[in-house]
Amino acid sequence: MAVEISAPPPRSLHGIAVPKVANVIGRRILGAILVIWGVVTLTFLLTRVFGGDPVNLFAQPTATLADREAIRQRLGLADPIPVQYVNYLRDVIHGNLGTSYLTFRPVTSDLLTRVPATAELATYALIFGVVVGVTVGVLSAVFEGSIFDRAVRVFTSAGLALPQFWVALMLIVIFFDQLHVLPGPTGRLPIGVLPPPKVTGFYLIDSIITGHLSILLPALRQLILPVLVLGYGVASPLARGARASMILALKADYVRTARALGLSRARIWFVYAFRNAILPVITMFAGTVAWTFSGTVLIEGVFGWPGVGQYALNALENSDFPAIQGFVLYASILYVIIYQLLDIAYTFADPRIRS
Amino acid sequence: MTTSLDPAVEITAPKPARLSRVAAAVLGAIRSFRSSSGTLPIGLSLLAFLVLISLVSLIWTPYPPTATGTGAFSSAPSGAHWFGTDAVGSDVFSRTISAGRTDVFYTVTAVAIALVIGSAWGALAGFFGGWFETVTLRLLEVVQAFPALLMALLVISILGPGTFNVILVVAILPLPDFVRLARAEVLTKKTWQFAEAARMVGNPPLVVLFKHLMPNSWRPLLAYASISAAWVCGNIAALGFIGVGIQPDAVEWGSMIARGESDVVAGAWWEALFPGLGVLVLAIGCQLVGDGIAARNRGEQR
Repeated sequence: MAVEISAPPPRSLHGIAVPKVANVIGRRILGAILVIWGVVTLTFLLTRVFGGDPVNLFAQPTATLADREAIRQRLGLADPIPVQYVNYLRDVIHGNLGTSYLTFRPVTSDLLTRVPATAELATYALIFGVVVGVTVGVLSAVFEGSIFDRAVRVFTSAGLALPQFWVALMLIVIFFDQLHVLPGPTGRLPIGVLPPPKVTGFYLIDSIITGHLSILLPALRQLILPVLVLGYGVASPLARGARASMILALKADYVRTARALGLSRARIWFVYAFRNAILPVITMFAGTVAWTFSGTVLIEGVFGWPGVGQYALNALENSDFPAIQGFVLYASILYVIIYQLLDIAYTFADPRIRS
Repeated sequence: MTTSLDPAVEITAPKPARLSRVAAAVLGAIRSFRSSSGTLPIGLSLLAFLVLISLVSLIWTPYPPTATGTGAFSSAPSGAHWFGTDAVGSDVFSRTISAGRTDVFYTVTAVAIALVIGSAWGALAGFFGGWFETVTLRLLEVVQAFPALLMALLVISILGPGTFNVILVVAILPLPDFVRLARAEVLTKKTWQFAEAARMVGNPPLVVLFKHLMPNSWRPLLAYASISAAWVCGNIAALGFIGVGIQPDAVEWGSMIARGESDVVAGAWWEALFPGLGVLVLAIGCQLVGDGIAARNRGEQR
């Protein structure tokens, strides 16, 4: 941890620093495009080149060779691999991810109808996870060695080690089966409740905007358990990271100086140390976003949540290759974009990186 | 322990005149067991407990783990069935302890593969640099852009089910981290004096790398291997839970939870609780061992 820098970076005037920042952003975007191209290519290779023959999914057992050839033509699989690759790239650029073997609808529109459910779940889980994780991590650093600190360590260790789908099932057992305080895993709404008119696709927000307030509470109750499980997965690594970097920050010379100057404890903790400690946590956050994506697949399965994760699970169980491919692309591209955005944000937050 | 290049070894291990090295190691373990930061022995005990249970399950289980109808369907824990029975009347206790074999074996094998291949790859990249390093780093960026579990699901849906494929897939997931870690280790240490000395006496590059550099870098790699094992066993259970790669009726913790899922939602908690505890013990054990090794490395660096 080379927190102490040997020489202070040369201060550049705002006007001079800007081209450098633009430079950084430009390079980031270029890098992101390269990575996305790599992801598209790898997905293509995995499914088209090494994958099984999709014709088998369509052909009747009695199909003649000519029948099979016709199916192959129709699926666009008769062309040489390089031609298929170029066609595939063109399709992806145009947002065409192929037609699902299962729903017979374009994968893109299938995914788009399901994105709001996942987005609502993931957003609340990330907010919950970041707020709880960072708060708990910082507090356990401030009170290092206390009972609170030890309890946090146990909880975060468990959060990293526990399979999320299992935590989800156990919470259902406790709060639904035993205590009867929360609803069962029936998706976004209890059975028989109709969703609010679609504005944002987020049920909580939509029910407020459109005045369907009777839906607000049931929708909220459905969200509690999945958000808790996913948020726990987000909070655990963040709390550990925040604790470690806060402890380092509290030992730094400038904190001692601030203490010597007689500044209040709260000011030292939350203004001086926290600001420096938060930077590595921002980087960790990108990793937890990926974790959340992976997590939604299983969590949506357990809670019957009608999002993209459940769609992917269905596709997997039925060898629906275009759908799997589409989902993996969607998730990775989203991940790359978020990652790069965070990296840019990080560059802005930490002036040392800019120069 | 022939690495006399490492000064820390001599400091921590008091030179026992008569005690054998094993006894010294045991004493050291007991000493760190007493100290509050004894994560390593606790982790090792948990793992030893699992191995012991797995071995016991080889020679004795109350009921055959694959037998169905050994009791009433989905009955709660009782004297006859300590952990209850599942939806087809199999004994959950017998299945839970037998499943330990599957999960521990998969985890250890997968991590070993990732550790060996990843470290060698990363070490070569860090040592020789050039285009090999550049290509490696770019490739890692692409692979790591896939959320890990999705990558596993995609690959396994293509490779098809089977023990070897499952192990291979869960080994791919932590592989990039090993490559990065080994590269960083070699990159910082290849300019140290002992490496320079090894080069100067005329050792060929590969000998310098694998005989002189790597033996000085294995401890952070081992610590990471143990920590990532916790993650790997979670992924194995997840694959079993989804029923991709691992057969749905396999004696495996994740598959057991999947089989009990609908019962669990209806209140039969024992069908998921016990296999989940198995995953938890394995994961926490690996994590504690990893933390312990890492803490020990840090302590010796000071």
